[in-house]
Amino acid sequence: MRIRFMAAVAVVSLSAAGVAFAALPKDKALAIMHVRHEGMEKIGDTNKLIHRELASSSPFAPAVKSGAATIAALAKQSSGWFPAGTGPEMGKTGAKAEIWQNQKDFAARLAVFQRAAVAFNTAAASGDMTATKARYADLIGTCNSCHDKYRMDMHH
Amino acid sequence: MVHWLLAGLIVFSWWSVHNHHTDWHIWSGIAILTLLIFRLLWGFFGSSTARWTGFIRGPRGVVDYLRGRWYGIGHTPLGALSVVAMFLALAVQVGLGLIAEDEDGLFFGPLSILVSTDTSDWARDLHETWFETAILGLVGLHLAAIIFYRVRGKSLTRPMITGDAALDSRAQPMRPGKWWVALICLAVALGIARWVVAGAPGLPR
Repeated sequence: MRIRFMAAVAVVSLSAAGVAFAALPKDKALAIMHVRHEGMEKIGDTNKLIHRELASSSPFAPAVKSGAATIAALAKQSSGWFPAGTGPEMGKTGAKAEIWQNQKDFAARLAVFQRAAVAFNTAAASGDMTATKARYADLIGTCNSCHDKYRMDMHH
Repeated sequence: MVHWLLAGLIVFSWWSVHNHHTDWHIWSGIAILTLLIFRLLWGFFGSSTARWTGFIRGPRGVVDYLRGRWYGIGHTPLGALSVVAMFLALAVQVGLGLIAEDEDGLFFGPLSILVSTDTSDWARDLHETWFETAILGLVGLHLAAIIFYRVRGKSLTRPMITGDAALDSRAQPMRPGKWWVALICLAVALGIARWVVAGAPGLPR
């Protein structure tokens, strides 16, 4: 009886794993992880440029504007970057497995980041440098709020 | 005291950067910078055993020491080499950190705005490599030396803390530094560190 029960548990969990696997084939998962990596890297590189502009005594507004637009566009795409099955078990990534253990919390933080990216883009487009700096500080705060919890070091 | 603060800050820097406290890591580096500037100045105006000219010896001094012909106090000629190496290695490490930025573009050394993003990224990688090779290597050598002398019956750490050591009768006693000179050195070090934190205003960008 006990053996039969355990066998049933094994079959159910195996098929559940199979379903999850079937939902996202390996090549597709790796492709999404690649897009995610490139997108995050682009956001990082854009941050480095924006930081330098905003730290300057005379920021070059067009550079800030285009950077803000880039980040806003990538933030919007980021909704599709974290489907289940694209964690560290699949391949090399800076995304911690905790993302999929706390999906609700992660999604909430991602949404806050996306709103902050839109607000920063709006401020940058308006040309108001004081507001731009404030919204940028907000945005960086949202990056850190997620990275502290869900990002791991990744050497490449 | 500078020594133990440095040791503590090095450990703290290592811990903080690996535990998502990059902001603390940067402040720790600024504190190390302040200590290095203080020590540099104290090496010119401080006590006789702290002065660079007081303990740095040429190759002949080191050879004399190794042959047992050194009767001074403070750092030995060989120990002096280790002090200078550690000082320079830390200066390089702090310098790289000041111009570095993190991978995600979220944390920046205060002087990173003076260089390009490529230079900043390069500095970050080297900052890490330099720690793993030069700094850890010197720390290891350092600890090995303590153990080596301890095995031979001489404690290097006790005189550091108590200030007491068995002196050879031929040794010159230490001339202590003046407290107000130390205060001025510290004030200058803090002033320079503050200027660095502000992004070194006045330097060409």
